[in-house]
Amino acid sequence: MVRRAGRALCVLFLVALATMSLPLLLPGSAAVAVLGTNVSAAELAAFTSMHHLDANPLERLWMWVTGVLHGDLGTSIVSGASVAGELQARLPITVELVVLSQLLAILLAIPVALRAAWRPGSLLDRLSAGLSFVLLSIPGFVLGLALIFLFAVQLRILPATGWVGFAQDPVGHVQHLILPVLTLSLGEAAVYLRALRANAGEILVENYIHAARSRGMAPGRILRTRVLRSASLPLVTIVGINIGASFGGALIVETLFAIPGIGRLLSSSIAVRDYPVIESLAIIAALAVVVATVAVDLSYRIIDPRISHAANN
Amino acid sequence: MPQITSALATGTTAPPTSPAPALKRRSRTTGERLQTVLFIASLGWLALLLVLMFVSMATPWLDPFQQDFGATKQAPGFAHPFGTDANGRDVLARTVAGAQNSFTVAAITLVVGAVTGSVIGIVCGYFRGWFDSVVGLALDTLMAFPALMLIILLVSFRGPSLWTIGGAIGLLMIPSFARVTRSITLSVRSREYVQAAVLIDTPTPRILLTAVLPAVAPVLVAYAFTAVTVGIVAEGSMSFLGYGLAAPAPSWGGIIAEGRTALAQAPWITLAPAATLTITVLAINVIGERFKEKRK
Repeated sequence: MVRRAGRALCVLFLVALATMSLPLLLPGSAAVAVLGTNVSAAELAAFTSMHHLDANPLERLWMWVTGVLHGDLGTSIVSGASVAGELQARLPITVELVVLSQLLAILLAIPVALRAAWRPGSLLDRLSAGLSFVLLSIPGFVLGLALIFLFAVQLRILPATGWVGFAQDPVGHVQHLILPVLTLSLGEAAVYLRALRANAGEILVENYIHAARSRGMAPGRILRTRVLRSASLPLVTIVGINIGASFGGALIVETLFAIPGIGRLLSSSIAVRDYPVIESLAIIAALAVVVATVAVDLSYRIIDPRISHAANN
Repeated sequence: MPQITSALATGTTAPPTSPAPALKRRSRTTGERLQTVLFIASLGWLALLLVLMFVSMATPWLDPFQQDFGATKQAPGFAHPFGTDANGRDVLARTVAGAQNSFTVAAITLVVGAVTGSVIGIVCGYFRGWFDSVVGLALDTLMAFPALMLIILLVSFRGPSLWTIGGAIGLLMIPSFARVTRSITLSVRSREYVQAAVLIDTPTPRILLTAVLPAVAPVLVAYAFTAVTVGIVAEGSMSFLGYGLAAPAPSWGGIIAEGRTALAQAPWITLAPAATLTITVLAINVIGERFKEKRK
């Protein structure tokens, strides 16, 4: 466990170092991108050294880390706004989208997968297998566009794009949430459904399931207490990978639905070479991946106590 | 790009069909018949695309750039099966030309991701040692780096060319391919016939070619189908976001994005290429699935 945590820290350090090297690695100067070409070389040099764009990556990382310990993520070199303030406004939106869509995907996948596994070859089993196969083949942005076309253009019951804060207008908030959350969750639900269905099918032929059935345990209870627990290990892994990756990948849905989350902040900052913003976002995204990986490891021990017993012996 | 990791992590393996009881026999055969029909339809779809691509490249028909301002935003009809866009260009011609670019990017992705990934995986799995640990750490770092950010960075600083886009997506696939080939190589390495070959001083390249590669190859082919679809979807998503080929050049994501503003008046500009993209991915998945089942 300690080794794993050490490796996670090491990965995090390397990602951070790579991000801090971006101003040196990428062609073109951020100073020119921000100030334009009509300024003197001295002004460009002053700008570059003021924002430490020419400092070595380790030094920049050290400055970033000491800044974070003081609650300061730096300031945007383009707008001068504080990165922390920008994140405070945008991060909750992306987190809300990701958490809601993962919850919906899991809530859709679990009952369908378990019921399908209980009766292999049944109508539900074949329908859900076919539907999830098709869903897996639909790219996220195509699914989102199809949903917009259906619900916003044809039926006119939901707004196509935009975002309203919950405090401003709770009903509008939920209306604006539905399509993006559906877009994110349907594809994930298909992945979870297939993984859980495959594992549940393997577990349902085990002896302890037969034992439970012969004792007259109700099917629902067998599925919930016996099958779901053992079948959820791979599911937890995939959910962990997806949650970790989705903070870097919310960009497509945020662009499609014009949602002011961190994905769009990332693409606009790359366009103007706003390195302080890019760096903080990359490190946060990598942190999400690493934390999700460690969380998956820890949850294994809770779901399946045999794992920690084996590790202790 | 969460799809890349999750699709490669789970593959598109079907849930194992449990031994069918005698009573279910009839429904199994109809299911199998349906699968065969789907398989042939998928092959037919890809063949049709290839023929159209050939027509577009070799003949003056299906010119994706020809504009007809007298016929803008025309609904699908006999002259234009997919309709025309805001500049009076034939949407079918643009979709077919988009398929060329999409397939090119997918091919580059596959070469970069599969070849580099498996070479890394085989070398790490066979020789182990410090090299394996260092590479493992590097791959973990690559996976933790936000995927879309990496692609956007590469594309916006190196300029959008087919090679940059394909290379960037391929780079992100290296860890998945390396992990799979590494674990297979590890298990082959410990087999007795390989140990014996090592003992009698068989040259290492020969062991790699005659023992390791044949074990790795079938899994690689099965993975390749998933990787091609991931490449096509990633290219579509990138051009949809505006990080694909520059404006007049047709790509699926680009055409879909262009048509978005006219979704209410001329939905075919968006929906026709979107449907083509989806059906193509579906067709490749169906063929890949068939291949995996045949292997069992």
